[in-house]
Amino acid sequence: MHPFSRRSLLKTGAAFAATFAAPSLVRAAPKEIVIGGPAGAAKYFNADLFPVLEKKLDCKVLYEGTNSLTNLQKMQADKASPKISVVIMDDPVMLPAAAEGLITKMSSSSIANLGRLVDGAVHQDGLWANYQKPWAGIAYSSKRMKTAPVSWADLWDAKYESKIIVPSLSNTEGFWTLLAAAHLETGKPYKEAQYDIDAAFKKVKSLKANLLNVYTNAPQAINLLEQGEAWMIGGQFSAYTLIRKADGSPVDLAIPADGGFAMPSGIAKVTNGPAGDVADAVIDFFLSPEAQTILADKAFVAPTNQGTPRPAGFPDPAQLFAPDWAFFAKNRAGWVDRWSKEMT
Amino acid sequence: MTEAVLSAPVVKPAPDRERLAAFGFIAPSMLIIALVFVLPLALLLGVSVLDAKGGINSANYTRLLGTPYYLGVIWNSLRLGLLTTLIAFLVSYPAAFALARARGPLRSTLLATLFLPLAASVIVKAFAWTILLRGDGLINTVLITLGIIEDPIRMIFTQTALITGAVNIFLPFMVLPIYAVVAQLDGRYAEAAATLGASPIVVFFRVILPLTLPGIIAGVALVFSLSVSAYVVPMLLIGEKYPTLATTIAKAYLLAREPGFGAAAGVVLLAIAVIVVALSTLLSREPK
Repeated sequence: MHPFSRRSLLKTGAAFAATFAAPSLVRAAPKEIVIGGPAGAAKYFNADLFPVLEKKLDCKVLYEGTNSLTNLQKMQADKASPKISVVIMDDPVMLPAAAEGLITKMSSSSIANLGRLVDGAVHQDGLWANYQKPWAGIAYSSKRMKTAPVSWADLWDAKYESKIIVPSLSNTEGFWTLLAAAHLETGKPYKEAQYDIDAAFKKVKSLKANLLNVYTNAPQAINLLEQGEAWMIGGQFSAYTLIRKADGSPVDLAIPADGGFAMPSGIAKVTNGPAGDVADAVIDFFLSPEAQTILADKAFVAPTNQGTPRPAGFPDPAQLFAPDWAFFAKNRAGWVDRWSKEMT
Repeated sequence: MTEAVLSAPVVKPAPDRERLAAFGFIAPSMLIIALVFVLPLALLLGVSVLDAKGGINSANYTRLLGTPYYLGVIWNSLRLGLLTTLIAFLVSYPAAFALARARGPLRSTLLATLFLPLAASVIVKAFAWTILLRGDGLINTVLITLGIIEDPIRMIFTQTALITGAVNIFLPFMVLPIYAVVAQLDGRYAEAAATLGASPIVVFFRVILPLTLPGIIAGVALVFSLSVSAYVVPMLLIGEKYPTLATTIAKAYLLAREPGFGAAAGVVLLAIAVIVVALSTLLSREPK
């Protein structure tokens, strides 16, 4: 048996002190945290972002990748006992989530980076915040098309019969085709045309002959573009297309002369979700320059933290139109039904 | 003594005790069926008559059965089920005979080719069809190489692709029940009919077909039920161009947030499947 020495007593005391004085986060850290988000982001989240996040916060992320409306439906179903702690959804879907009390207010005291975002990135007094801003244009096959499409009207060109894919209106990005159709039909700028939905449907119906498919599954559509089976995808995100281009696929993203679109992605804390303090830390990480630099580099999305430089080659935000999401969210269910009836 | 024992009446348990014992045996399974089948079904029926405001009425059924678009959706599902079942039967019937007649390594190989695809996910198989059917896919490449066509035929996201994929995916469920019956078939029936002067066509329609009918009916019930309610196959092989009841249910629940309407569509789909299975059961009963 070793006699007690001053050194061993100091070591033991230091160990006790470290255990009890450690931040509550370390003591209460659950092994797992569930994040619900878009299926299209799963690949770069899992490959590039979550390993850094897990190491930083000493937790295991379980990512449920689906579309925003499905995440909303899950939150509604689990409202009494939520399983998701953090949710990542498109802004138009955050609106009903906020209205139904499914997401809870965040504050700069627990999420420091919330106060460091660009203007307009924090919504409804902190109910959700934009952690990235992908942009949308026309994705095209560089194998099939030697020059990039220059206008949204190119989608309607008869020479592209059965060569075009558009997102279903069931997906948020489905609105881009409708918005472009309204603009083309009325000749008005997006800001005014977005409210003329009858004109949009009239125009988009005339696209049928050119449609190879209407997708709800983005990866399948991108895959068809890579193969050259599809020549263009109307209303496609930078995050989905340019990430494939960077991997060597013969695809590219064009911002037509009549303008592209901005699609801010939101992150929010689920009301009464498990592991609340870890959820705060996860959201703070998503809003940090460290995470946003990774996202800009790997997923081609514009950062929202003022401390993150905008990479070269990213479009000027002035080129991109941001629609009236409240109007979209209010009318979406009816439009989805109309889309089903008129586009099949 | 022995005579006395033999002549003694056999003591049978009272009928009530027999019934009670039988009920005791089936009670656990009845309880499981009630919990996992009857209760969810009752909930489905209950939700199907709820409107968006929580009121109880038949609005969901009126919308489903009174709107041309949704009647078209029901017809799409029926059409998918009927065509898949018919083509699967036409392919499976001779295949089942070939399987039953094969011996040795050939039989093992044929059985393996039938069972192995069941181990692959439906999603994988559906995606495989999109690869085969695309412009630079195997089918177009072979046709162009043979000089049958000059330019690729568009097959992807067409009804041809949908039916082809569905038949391929559900084929084993038609072959196996027919094969099980054909394997038991006594060849002497056909020989007896032939010796009595029946032509091969008469032998087939009057002897072979009636004897294999139980397998056909089982296969038809299985394939029709699976294909009429298929979700992944139409979603991946044709997408929104061909809405079915299954895709409508998914959209109602996951996107439009209309659980009542989704449940009503589920009830209609279930009713279609139940009718087909009930008809199959009736047809498979031997005439008294």
